[in-house]
Amino acid sequence: MSILTSKPALILLGCVAAYLLPYGLNSYSMHVVDIAIIFALLAIGMGLVMGVAGQINLAQVAFFGVGAYTTAILTTHSGFGFWTAAIVGLAATVLVGLLVGLPALRMQSHYLGIVTLGLALGFVNWITNAEITGGADGISGIPVPPFFGIDLADEYLYYYLEIVVFGLALAFGTFVVRTRLGRRLRAMRDDALAAGAMGAEIPLLRMTAFMLASVYGGAAGILYAGLIRYVAPETFSLGNMFLLLAMVIIGGRRSLIGCVVGAVGLVLIREALVDFAVYAQLGYGIVVVLMVVFAPTGLAGIPRRVREAVGRRRKNDDVRSAELGPYLPGPAPAAQVPESGADSGPALEISHLTKRFGALTALDDVTLTVRQGEIRGIVGPNGSGKTTLFNVISGLYRPSAGQVSGVGRDISRARPYQLSLAGMARTFQNLRLFSQMTVRENILVVLDRSRTSTVWQYAVWPVGVLSNEHRLQAEADRVLKEYGLTAFADAHPQSLPYGIQRRIEIARAMAGRPSLLLLDEPAAGLNGEEVGQLSSIVRSIRDQGVTVVLIEHNMGLVMSLCERITVLAAGSVIAEGSPAEVAATPEVIEAYLGDSAPADIPVHAAPEVP
Amino acid sequence: MQVTLQTLVGGLSLGAIYALIAVGFSVVYRTMGLVNFAHADVAMIGAYAASTFYLTTHVSFVLAIIISIVVTGIIGLVIERVLRPLENKDFDLMLIGTIGFGTVLQAAATLIWGTTGRAMPSPISSGPLDIMGIRIRTYDLMVIAVTAACVVLLTLFLQRTKPGAAMQAVAMDHEAATAVGIHVGRSNALAFAIGAGIAALAGGLAGPMLYVDATLGSALGVKGFAAAMLGGFGSIPGAVVGGLAIGVLDSYAGDHFQGYSVLVTFLVFTVAIMIRPTGIFGERTVSRA
Repeated sequence: MSILTSKPALILLGCVAAYLLPYGLNSYSMHVVDIAIIFALLAIGMGLVMGVAGQINLAQVAFFGVGAYTTAILTTHSGFGFWTAAIVGLAATVLVGLLVGLPALRMQSHYLGIVTLGLALGFVNWITNAEITGGADGISGIPVPPFFGIDLADEYLYYYLEIVVFGLALAFGTFVVRTRLGRRLRAMRDDALAAGAMGAEIPLLRMTAFMLASVYGGAAGILYAGLIRYVAPETFSLGNMFLLLAMVIIGGRRSLIGCVVGAVGLVLIREALVDFAVYAQLGYGIVVVLMVVFAPTGLAGIPRRVREAVGRRRKNDDVRSAELGPYLPGPAPAAQVPESGADSGPALEISHLTKRFGALTALDDVTLTVRQGEIRGIVGPNGSGKTTLFNVISGLYRPSAGQVSGVGRDISRARPYQLSLAGMARTFQNLRLFSQMTVRENILVVLDRSRTSTVWQYAVWPVGVLSNEHRLQAEADRVLKEYGLTAFADAHPQSLPYGIQRRIEIARAMAGRPSLLLLDEPAAGLNGEEVGQLSSIVRSIRDQGVTVVLIEHNMGLVMSLCERITVLAAGSVIAEGSPAEVAATPEVIEAYLGDSAPADIPVHAAPEVP
Repeated sequence: MQVTLQTLVGGLSLGAIYALIAVGFSVVYRTMGLVNFAHADVAMIGAYAASTFYLTTHVSFVLAIIISIVVTGIIGLVIERVLRPLENKDFDLMLIGTIGFGTVLQAAATLIWGTTGRAMPSPISSGPLDIMGIRIRTYDLMVIAVTAACVVLLTLFLQRTKPGAAMQAVAMDHEAATAVGIHVGRSNALAFAIGAGIAALAGGLAGPMLYVDATLGSALGVKGFAAAMLGGFGSIPGAVVGGLAIGVLDSYAGDHFQGYSVLVTFLVFTVAIMIRPTGIFGERTVSRA
């Protein structure tokens, strides 16, 4: 399935319609359409940052303003040519976008909304009062953009300039969304913590999202300056910010096409109701509220909702009744075994690790070593610090004291994405699949082992991204087949039974070809048969050369699967050894049973026994 | 020195209004996890309602404010009911939904009261006090006193009464609260009505200090939210401290940067909140994997 050539006929039809459109419009309608395209560009930027990347950005209209005002100031005050000013304007917008995005590194959701809204207010305050921006009067007399002798003062001809820019912008946006950058952005939106543990550099991605939004905002601003040739503060007011928000929400924030539809639709409606502006405002306010409550995915999400509602009996049952395929272990050892000392060095070495949260000591002087190719079980009562240990190992928490080394180096201070790229993978106790992405996309996020900093490829050499994409898709097919998930490739994880979701999480972790796999309660919620399958999957993973560390409460599974077991209680290691040794340790019996009753923990029992 | 103190006093009275906005916002936020972006527009409606009753029907200022509190309390109940499906679930959608409500309220205000705003005369006619060379408007003193009284009453309500305790319980764990027999929906509705009522009080008090028009909400709101955030989201004392801080900051920025006061205020706020995202009284929460 190719990315950009799907529905080529529709695209061609759209191009022809766009070409013919001006022939049917009077000059006023042409003007409205020109405005609508500018808002559509803005809305795409908003959709990318908010719908795709999940960053609440209420300063999009300020980006619009920076682009427009920079162009206006440079052309009227400094005597720059229009296009030179435009390039500087775009650069200035990106700079402002990155600055506005900085708070996103420290806060999210409504916090970010308030900060960006405040900064947008600050921008309006500045342009209303500064001398260089002409104060409340704004700047008039922006020159007509020269264009190879074509008179762009003619709004019909300007339309063609706009539509080309818009077409390229939409194509680029779609390209971003559907390829690796977009998948990482969406993964970050769905679960930033899990995305980080899967190799995505969250801070860089957030800045990238704001940069994308500002590029679209700046481009829209430049086109606006060239079309209207006059800028004034009210265009960039909070009222228009909320109108833009309404466009994106009504159209559907997660779909770029939806954003465009929302933008064009609202501009047209606003024009039609220009004599009833307040009623229009009342109307779109009400529609936004209704949309948020009843159709959070907007107009763009309605077809899918309808399809799901209609086909719930028929199609969903297909997915539901589809069998989880058998696990087919990969032919070759998949793991990227560290080159040096692969046999001698331990896979994971923790020494004197302590982790405190305020007054609470969650891990107290933990020391443990896991050999290469071992299956290590970590057990202990609830609250004994097992998951905290995993969180420290995988870089989510910084240790308060002590050392962790693994994947060939000291990793005490490494970030989750670095560990993921270096060959560590983990699953989560409470399933952190990316809920708004398909199973295939969940796998693809992890298959992509590139550094996030390679996003420059999108600007310079998109073809490289595309060829890489074909390779990733082929690999995804292989992983899906290996884990028996082919039938569910296009389903969303939440619509699938719990056991399958657990399988997806393991498949997703293994897609990165790790050398060290951390499984946090992989058997929780599984039935007996599924526990058996899990057991053989874990063994097979180990046979491929991967070291496995698992936290588990299912003692039957731990006793039969693990070669060595570490027992934690109240943050300390109280026993370590083979299953039989551990089961006979008095401290373990006491921690589990509360007194020194005879050992009753099954050794090498069938996995079904809880 | 006197100029500085004069600025401080001016900042505190405006800060008291921001504090009231932030307190109302926080009551709702802590109880049901609802970020009500329409909160300030509710305050704007409150300001309009108070000024209407005060100016046209010539009831006393206190009665006018009480009527406006009732009116906005009802609006609060409507907002809460409509957005109830999203409570404790999706913050982003709730935020957008309340922005939608804010838009509706602004449009409604324009339809009812027109586009030209109104200036509201001060209900207190006595001249400004002169304390050690600093002129303090008596109305400003009253605003600060009313804010203080409101915060004390609210705190007493939350700590000493049964519905207040129920609200605290819902704030901590709404499922556990249900389990012990608290009607969470009713408790939330009450919290929302109280929040909206405090918003109306803020709006009504702001009337004589600022110009009342449909954009009053945006003017008060973003700074009120900033105050709540600076103090620590959901914390009542934090809201008061944050409100006063934003008020004073605003006042100094107005003195030193004149037209650019909003820009300076928000830049300083952004830097402050980036240094400490949880605010002054906010607790750092640990993300669990």
